[in-house]
Amino acid sequence: MTETVLSGTGLEKRFGGTVALAGVDLSIRRGETIAIMGPSGSGKSTLLHCLAGIMRPDRGEVTLLGQRVDTQSEAQRSRLRRSRFGFLFQFGQLLPELTAEENVALPLLLDGTPKPKALPPARSWFGPLGLAGLERRRPGELSGGEAQRVALARALVTGPAVVFADEPTGALDQANGAETMRILVEATKGQDSCLVLVTHDASVAAHCDRKVEVRDGRLVVDAGPGAAKPELPQRAGAW
Amino acid sequence: MNAVTLAWTLLRGGGRKGMLGSVLTLAAVGVTTTLLMFAVAGNFAFADRAERTAWRTPVPAGQVETARQLSVLDMVDGRPMTVVYLTATGSGAPPVPPGMDGFPAPGELWASPELAALLERLPADQLADRFDAPVTGELGDAALVHGNELVAVVGVASDSPVLSARPLDGETVVGISEFGTDAASETYRLYQSFMAVATVLMVVPLLVFGGAAARLTVARRDQRLASLRLVGATPGQVVRVTVAEAILTALVGAVAGAILYTAVMPLLARIPIDGGPWFVADLWPPLWATGAVIVAVPLLVGLSAVVGLRRVVISPLGVARRQTPPGIRAARLLVLVAFVGAFLFMSSRFLGMGALGSLLMLVLLAGVFGAINLVGPWVVSLLGRVTALAARRPAPLLAGRRLVDDPRSAWRTVAGIALTGFVAGFTVLLSPQLTGYAEDRTLLTVSVPTTQVEAVTASVATVLPDGAKVTGTNEVEGVSLVDVETPVDSAAIDRFRTEVAQIAPGSPTMGTDDWVRFDDQLFTDVKTGVLVVLCVSILIAMVSAAVSGASSVLDRRQVYGLLHLSGTPMKVLNSARRMETLLPLAVMGGGSLACGMLMAMPFSSGGEIAGNLALLFTVVGFGVVGVVGASAVSRPLLASVMRNTPPRPD
Ligand SMILES: Nc1ncnc2c1ncn2[C@@H]1O[C@H](COP(=O)(O)OP(=O)(O)O)[C@@H](O)[C@H]1O
Ligand SMILES: [Mg+2]
Repeated sequence: MTETVLSGTGLEKRFGGTVALAGVDLSIRRGETIAIMGPSGSGKSTLLHCLAGIMRPDRGEVTLLGQRVDTQSEAQRSRLRRSRFGFLFQFGQLLPELTAEENVALPLLLDGTPKPKALPPARSWFGPLGLAGLERRRPGELSGGEAQRVALARALVTGPAVVFADEPTGALDQANGAETMRILVEATKGQDSCLVLVTHDASVAAHCDRKVEVRDGRLVVDAGPGAAKPELPQRAGAW
Repeated sequence: MNAVTLAWTLLRGGGRKGMLGSVLTLAAVGVTTTLLMFAVAGNFAFADRAERTAWRTPVPAGQVETARQLSVLDMVDGRPMTVVYLTATGSGAPPVPPGMDGFPAPGELWASPELAALLERLPADQLADRFDAPVTGELGDAALVHGNELVAVVGVASDSPVLSARPLDGETVVGISEFGTDAASETYRLYQSFMAVATVLMVVPLLVFGGAAARLTVARRDQRLASLRLVGATPGQVVRVTVAEAILTALVGAVAGAILYTAVMPLLARIPIDGGPWFVADLWPPLWATGAVIVAVPLLVGLSAVVGLRRVVISPLGVARRQTPPGIRAARLLVLVAFVGAFLFMSSRFLGMGALGSLLMLVLLAGVFGAINLVGPWVVSLLGRVTALAARRPAPLLAGRRLVDDPRSAWRTVAGIALTGFVAGFTVLLSPQLTGYAEDRTLLTVSVPTTQVEAVTASVATVLPDGAKVTGTNEVEGVSLVDVETPVDSAAIDRFRTEVAQIAPGSPTMGTDDWVRFDDQLFTDVKTGVLVVLCVSILIAMVSAAVSGASSVLDRRQVYGLLHLSGTPMKVLNSARRMETLLPLAVMGGGSLACGMLMAMPFSSGGEIAGNLALLFTVVGFGVVGVVGASAVSRPLLASVMRNTPPRPD
């Protein structure tokens, strides 16, 4: 259970004159849930993008199960994101023309599974996520919380190694947000995927095994059950 | 802040993507205006031509006859030639014919430029000897239907035998005081009614589409406008801002479209109708019509912006929730059936009703098209439903769903082609019954005073090829109709015509093949017209495909960007978009084409249709490539949307 799934070392990224990441090291072990916290503009999303192979860091490397990610071509990274990662964003990620179950089945369809074969595994997520009966609804007919859970089902349907969530409850009210977050953490753990969760809300982060805080592109706090030992030296280096 | 200032600020502040939307709206409105101008100008162009045929039909003088006029139709080199004989009576100043400086004196020959050239080219015994005079001057454009026309104005003495001739086609000498201005030729009245039908065919899809151009502006703005509502702008303010912006953009587009039209006029003038190209001036519609188009287009765009905005204005959250749109009622089918029924029931009755009949026919025809327009989206959504249901892969699933969700947008793209396709399919299979008198022989009918029959018989022997013979003679009150059967030899027949013109001037010889040729010309023109309308429809489809492609990308930029982040290949989205365009095009455009062909099958002679088919398929092929290409215009837009969308919209 201590195998490292995803790791970034020495990640730097700047946009013009803005330094978004100024040297970040972070590794995530199998089954771990980790919350990336920090004020707005501190570089949380940029870190997530670099780890997920959405962006190439200017410096540093990203590896997934020992394999370099940041050096791959856009097409390769795109395939990787589709097959090994799951994504959950704040809102607006469901295709309005597809039903809820088709939205969930989309990653399978994109990988060549025909629709009749892709729908049953997609549907099997609806019950556990409290979405039973909403399979045929369109995104426009779902509440914000329901839509987020459908998006979560889509993120999980391929059995990804890592689920990335960028402020997934930012558009939800308190109660709905907490509920969605509980389901997110439970479901991710339930299938042994890692979770990388970006948030600036401490009560949201409380659901996770481990918390890191980003300030001005650096990791300043790393706390949680599995955090202390392996990353202490790096943290010291950052200070 | 007043609406126009705010609109202008929004327009400038829209960013690159916002600007792109405005540019697309502008281009769409521009092309719509250009084509609308063309559709409108076509009517004036035919009216101009028709007007210029009027002077040839003599109008009996009300009081004092100042001149006498005889207009006849002759043939040379297989082409029709109009010859107008004029003589002054001496009682008062005779009217000046159009295209001339003065009334022709006896012995003068005024020829159209094309005729003058032909007079030079052909040996005198085939043409020039018919006039017995050198060319005095060239007729101006005002006298001509088009630049390729063969027209002669011949001044004769008042006692010339021409004026006492009794030609076969029954034209007689008429005492006049003015040249006619109203009585356009029968042919041109027919052309004008065809043009009116073509106008309906072009304008219906143009208006449908032109209204849709506003959609792009609205689609792009709805989020921001909903925010305006949220911060407390009144519905009235929101409507005024958007409408002002749409009208502003459309006005610029309309002016640009009118300018584009003038730029392409010289090209359009080359479309041959009635055997010749147009005078460029004919294609320029009167100023009031141009003004009306330039004013009407922005108003239409503004109006559809209001309609498109209703949902935003009703509730500030209106656009945030997108729902399954309600199905389109099959009841619309009944409206179509009713209109088609009425049209079929009335069609046989229209002919006897004159101008009112043609007007009624046009109204019902527009009704039929309007009804097809109601049914079209319904069929598109049906098509989408079937596609989505049968889909196993994401691209057809997405394409099918999108057709179900917004059948109107897909229909707008194919509407014109679906309407025109039927007519094109129908006409392409028809070819004129080129059954002249016989395979390689023709029958000429000569009308001469009975005293001249012998002279005609003599020239049959000397001028016409071996095997030519007189097959019958009929005498009516001193005039004889002589039927001559001859092997087809264009030069020899022209020589014969020239000899007969010298024996009995003023009564040209016509043959069975000539009448066939007139029908043939009309038929060719109908086909040209259909092809032009089809090209216009294809252009509309292209612009519409580009616009709806771009607006659907802009509408979904958030979800596309996020899908890209999750690793969705752009290929799938592009192929879905292509399918979304091609499916209705193939089914509805191809279907109406095939339908037309099927219905024309019983009348098809099978003769010369191979060339027609090849031409049609070339046009259709270019159309398909053009429409698919136009929908691909938004690919770079999709690419940029996919790359640049932040996961958190600001
Ligand atoms: N695409 C971009 N172009 C320019 N600057 C960017 C871009 N993305 C992020 N930034 C900048 O990088 C910094 C970190 O951004 P981000 O990682 O989105 O912060 P967070 O997610 O913590 O709010 C911010 O100053 C932001 O303005
Ligand atoms: Mg962020």
